[in-house]
Amino acid sequence: MNVCAKIRGALIAFTLPLAFMNISHAQDQVPITIVINQSPWFAGFQTVVGQYQEKTGNTVSLDVNPFAGSLEKQRSAVRSKESPYDILIMNAGFFIEMYKGGFLSPLNDIDPNFALDKDLYTFDDSVYWDPSTNKIDAKTGKLMSVPINPFIPILHYRSDLYAEKGLKVPETWDDLLANAKALNNPPSMYGIVQRGARGTFDVTYDVLPYIWSYGGGLLKDQKAGDYSIIVNSPETKAGMEMYLKLAKEAGHPSTAGQTQANVLQNMATGKAGNIIAVLAASIFDDPNQSAVVDKVGFAPPPHAPGFQSSPGLGHWLGGIPKNIPGDRQKAALAFLNWFQSKDAQMAYAEAGSPPVSRAVLESDLGNQPKYRWMKALSKGLTTARLPFFIPESAQILAITELGFNQIISGQTTVNDGLNNMAKEMEKVMTAAGYKAPLLPDLKD
Amino acid sequence: MYLSSTENGRSASPEGLVENVSLLSLNRDRFWRNLTLAPAIVLFLALTVLPMVNLVVLSLHDIDWAQGLSSWTYVGLKHYASLAADSLFKASILNTLVFSTVAVSVQMVLGFALALLTSSIVHGRLFYRTVFLLPILVPGIIIGAIWKLMFSFDFGVLNQMAGAIGIMPRDWLGDATYSLASIIVVDIWHWTPFCFLLLLASLETLPQDVYEASDIDGATSWQSLWYITIPLMLPAIAVTFVFRLILAFKVFDEVYLLTGGGPGTSTEVVSFTIFRRFFTEDRPGYGSAMSVTTFALIALMIIVVSAVTRRKGSTS
Repeated sequence: MNVCAKIRGALIAFTLPLAFMNISHAQDQVPITIVINQSPWFAGFQTVVGQYQEKTGNTVSLDVNPFAGSLEKQRSAVRSKESPYDILIMNAGFFIEMYKGGFLSPLNDIDPNFALDKDLYTFDDSVYWDPSTNKIDAKTGKLMSVPINPFIPILHYRSDLYAEKGLKVPETWDDLLANAKALNNPPSMYGIVQRGARGTFDVTYDVLPYIWSYGGGLLKDQKAGDYSIIVNSPETKAGMEMYLKLAKEAGHPSTAGQTQANVLQNMATGKAGNIIAVLAASIFDDPNQSAVVDKVGFAPPPHAPGFQSSPGLGHWLGGIPKNIPGDRQKAALAFLNWFQSKDAQMAYAEAGSPPVSRAVLESDLGNQPKYRWMKALSKGLTTARLPFFIPESAQILAITELGFNQIISGQTTVNDGLNNMAKEMEKVMTAAGYKAPLLPDLKD
Repeated sequence: MYLSSTENGRSASPEGLVENVSLLSLNRDRFWRNLTLAPAIVLFLALTVLPMVNLVVLSLHDIDWAQGLSSWTYVGLKHYASLAADSLFKASILNTLVFSTVAVSVQMVLGFALALLTSSIVHGRLFYRTVFLLPILVPGIIIGAIWKLMFSFDFGVLNQMAGAIGIMPRDWLGDATYSLASIIVVDIWHWTPFCFLLLLASLETLPQDVYEASDIDGATSWQSLWYITIPLMLPAIAVTFVFRLILAFKVFDEVYLLTGGGPGTSTEVVSFTIFRRFFTEDRPGYGSAMSVTTFALIALMIIVVSAVTRRKGSTS
């Protein structure tokens, strides 16, 4: 063998693995676009998407919008001849209209062998839909989506101030009230800052843990098909009064005007002792965005004595539209399949977003101070429930967003506000064909 | 060829011939005029009338989706009948009327005053014009962000200034007492330059000889303003007022960005309610009925304002 042959051999030996490496990173799916909203967990999702692109060579574009804007875009996309989006990131409040409208492709229609990872949360079975009964049903339904984010409201408290004042992490609303009062020193510090502003699914989402944990709610038992309206029940009233008591005695003077951004801003700037919000650990532990780095503790939302913590599921699901070509559907499913893997979920958590894999959420990672929110989230998820099982959620939310905000702003009394909401909800539910009996009006 | 008209019974006299030729020329003119106008008319019909007709048709239907397909159910005037019982719509109409009337009136007065001041400035006129016009050049989203920060209860410059002189902070956007007034202030800041620009343009075209004559007659500045400037500018004032009123009635971005219609219904305006009903609640039929009704209200408002200003103009 001459020198040239040796060099040639060495070159081949050196470049062959590189060539294979390139093949393994070559794009094997068509590019996809994901429509998603801007949330505190978005940065983590973006990081994971970047990793997917690096590892597979596939291209993923993100169309990022505000909450309501994302919903509009999703509706327009699935109702057009061909959706510009390949994955819809749908919120707990609105995904059912996508299922019921027949806009999504069942995932096993795209790939009969696809299955959800056994460790993934299914969030009240909200990934399944039975089109014959128009109901969520894990037994008879088809797999329609893959969980993307496990959001529930979590109590964020100032752990440094709790330690300083010898306060215990609250179990009940009364405990929280006592703690909030102990920290309340307006205007430099509010005991608690609550979201009370109207939006698409804003104040309702934040009031639900209060009213559910007193045994109240909006509709009695949607899962079991009981649509009795209980928004003006004495139990709902008790929950609402606790919300107002916290606001009045230890809360922000402008609770009715507080948006999620305001609530998070108050905590990040050190002006809030407690907040109940979707997980925002990545913001509060980022020195570029927060004055309370490593000073925030996390716990499930408190509850009334004798009840359990009752956070509402505000999770996000990824679905694939029916009105896109097969190669795009396959590419979208390939991403979702990768996303649900343990490695991707681990990377997702490490990037600061809460994972949807129980295996990761309950892993040893949660023992590290950086991931101290994991235990609170996994504990909260055990009692979390889905706010809506019906596609009329948008109309119900329009009523409750206004109604709760009117009560919080003092435009109406608790009784009148809840009674009015009940009557308007009854109209919507009856018009949609549900049996939705009303309770007698609350009286002073 | 021209003589063929005689066969149709027209006069063959020279006068008749001239008449026929000019008629033919007129017809040809009319034909070309119509032909050249046709693209604009087609475009107008396609972009204005068709969507309006579509909106009216939509307002008479309910739309449901199943299996990815829409089904339209004719419901007649049901949506229009429901409007009367819609407390949010009623609140939004009332708020919009208050908002548009107050905001536009103040903008007109300020715009007119600024136009008068600027037209009387000899040095630096261009500078002042540019400065006064700046707010209208700022995009709505930036205006929302700027004012939201300024109005912020905890971090806003307004409350910090108030605090510095011992005044308790106010919840400008979260308290129903101040929220609509705060939105009006932002709108005045944003749109006064529009009134200023239109009124200034009109002011600069006024005939100077009238003022010279009034000077000779010994009229004071106030008399010149009251008896010459305002009457001469009335058509421009009316057009600016109506134009701004229409725009103010459609206010959306300021409300969307600053208060989201709250607290309660205190800043709910009609465009925002339509947006909610049509898009967020996904009720296109009902939302269309709201849009058609609002369109009718604006049209009525324009007719009334135009009639009043025309009468005022003829009296002057």
